[in-house]
Amino acid sequence: MAPEAPTQPGEPTAEAGPPPSDALEPAAAEPTRRKWGELVLALATAALGGYVLVAAGSITVPGSTNTLGPRAFPYLVGGLLVAAGVALVVLVLSGRAGEEEGGEDVDPTVRTDWLTVVLLVVTLVVHVFAINVVGWPLAAAVLFAGAAVVLGARPWWRAALVGLVLGLVVQVIFGGLLGLSLPAGPLLEGVPFLRG
Amino acid sequence: MDNFSALLEGFATVLHPVYLLWALFGVFIGTAVGVLPGIGPAMTIALLLPLTYSLEPTAAIIVFAGIYYGGMYGGSTTSILLNTPGESSSIVTAIEGNKMARAGRGAAALATAAIGSFVAGTLATVALTFMAPVIADLAVQLGEPDYFALMVVAFITVGALLGSSVSRGIASLALGLFLGLVGTDTLTGQQRFTFGVPNLADGIDVVVVAVGLFAVGEALYVGSRMRHGPIRIIPFEKGWRSWMKRDDWRRSWRPWLRGAAIGFPVGTIPAGGADVATFLSYASEKRLAGKERRKEFGKGAIEGVAGPEAANNAAAAGVLVPLLTLGLPTTATAAIMIVAFQSYGIQPGPLLMQSESALVWALVASLYLGNLMLVVLNLPLVGMWVKVLRIPRHYLYAGIILFGALGSYALNFSPVDVLLLVLIGLAGFFMRRYGYPVAPLVVGMILGPMAEDRLRRSLAISQGDLSYLVTSPFAAIAYAAIVVLLAVGIWLKRRERAAA
Repeated sequence: MAPEAPTQPGEPTAEAGPPPSDALEPAAAEPTRRKWGELVLALATAALGGYVLVAAGSITVPGSTNTLGPRAFPYLVGGLLVAAGVALVVLVLSGRAGEEEGGEDVDPTVRTDWLTVVLLVVTLVVHVFAINVVGWPLAAAVLFAGAAVVLGARPWWRAALVGLVLGLVVQVIFGGLLGLSLPAGPLLEGVPFLRG
Repeated sequence: MDNFSALLEGFATVLHPVYLLWALFGVFIGTAVGVLPGIGPAMTIALLLPLTYSLEPTAAIIVFAGIYYGGMYGGSTTSILLNTPGESSSIVTAIEGNKMARAGRGAAALATAAIGSFVAGTLATVALTFMAPVIADLAVQLGEPDYFALMVVAFITVGALLGSSVSRGIASLALGLFLGLVGTDTLTGQQRFTFGVPNLADGIDVVVVAVGLFAVGEALYVGSRMRHGPIRIIPFEKGWRSWMKRDDWRRSWRPWLRGAAIGFPVGTIPAGGADVATFLSYASEKRLAGKERRKEFGKGAIEGVAGPEAANNAAAAGVLVPLLTLGLPTTATAAIMIVAFQSYGIQPGPLLMQSESALVWALVASLYLGNLMLVVLNLPLVGMWVKVLRIPRHYLYAGIILFGALGSYALNFSPVDVLLLVLIGLAGFFMRRYGYPVAPLVVGMILGPMAEDRLRRSLAISQGDLSYLVTSPFAAIAYAAIVVLLAVGIWLKRRERAAA
């Protein structure tokens, strides 16, 4: 899916922000793009079903199996996926789009901010690779601060500070007190109450 | 009455100071997180599953019971005081409660919601206490094909009714069934859909999927179209004298009782959960209101808050009946509760009340207690809950992501699980964006392997004769019930949409 002209990822949220409706007009191109995205998802569902149907045929059936073996249920599931996918393709093509999910913090009038989504995923991936390098508390601080800044926290150092405190508190409670073996990392290895 | 003495023993367990503290912790966390927008009870329990890795079962179940009821109370506070609609089961409350708050009667709306939840929650817990042992006794006599039939009922009703679109719900269910297939087949030991990846041989962990869909998916989705600007909370009058006037009590008590009577039975059957119960209660209150009062509906009628809130809590207790007696989850929250049980090696089902009798009765006792704690805590502390509502959204969603990552990392202490979490979170994002409900996926993933097991065992007994699946009277009735449940459920959904 092509990213639509992204809005600023870190616009101030809470108190200071401008009222949403006049700031960002929903783009006219959005409905068409949405329809394409929805079509891709429906096709992917059907394709997954097709794959399941084909791959189910190559599951080894031991000779001892009587009646229903390990292939039967996958065939059913694959069939259901194909049926649901095809039905959805028809629905989307006939113009009946899905209802986006609402929520207290979701603004239905703004267009999708793809940059925020991408940056959040990048932050999560950085966190994944950081755990084994710098230890859980610091990786958690990076994750929290990164996500908060991407979502609009300013100034960045306050988010970093909150993240660091949160990471350490969770490490103490879950690692130190509840005995979850979260790796403290090379920097904090020596501190006794942090050890998981 | 040996169930009665078992219940008393449950109370004796729960009243132990340590467990009391855990119960208090549960209702506290449950309410706080329930108040937070964007986090429903299912996500709360999913996010707190890491607790089960280090708590003993009784304490954990007590905490989860507290969270379960607490989340319901918290949700109503949000929908009354915040200017935007909230979790699905309290949307009806939002219509009337929000209007009441704007008319300066916020305190009365909060009070009738909390007291109504307490009344209905307690009545429904009493009903649960009496019904669960009876149904468990009956359930023991069910055969393999009967269970398979029950699961098919759950699949179809959950898939078709837990969202706004039937076909998208079924697609979501099928995706969940597929994820449930990944791993080693229990009966033959064959690997299925593992793509040769050793990590997948044990299957995909439900915790990662649940947290990914509910927490990460939600955070990504909110991030993609975040509501900027100040958080608008409707002010309300302080002091307990303003909570409910004489007239409010007079108008509330009947809707509470009716809400309980509607909510509990609807909760016990797989027909779409609390959502349907609140709507039914709202519709019946409107009908019974009489000419004068009916005009108030849509402008802030107290009956429209009292009834649906009561029905919501009663349905929450009703959901526990099939969960504890049949092992059948009918809502996303119930599905996550099953995961919590399973992480202790406990399989909810007809034998649960015999094999884990002490645990089940401690759970029931903690429901009574949690309800009492909630009504005592909720009203005096409402000022604090309002502060919770004001948490800046960037910190809130960063925190949700952080705890989601912790939960999946702590499963095996392997970063690979967190990577899987990110992928599933992305899937959850696209599902939300295009209106696919995520709850059927989680239910399908948990129930799928159980259903396959039952199906294959049934056919092993009948030596491949498919008619064995439908010849038992119970199974035949269950399949017939699907048609009725679907017809009624879809009709209700239509009306609900027309009314909203």
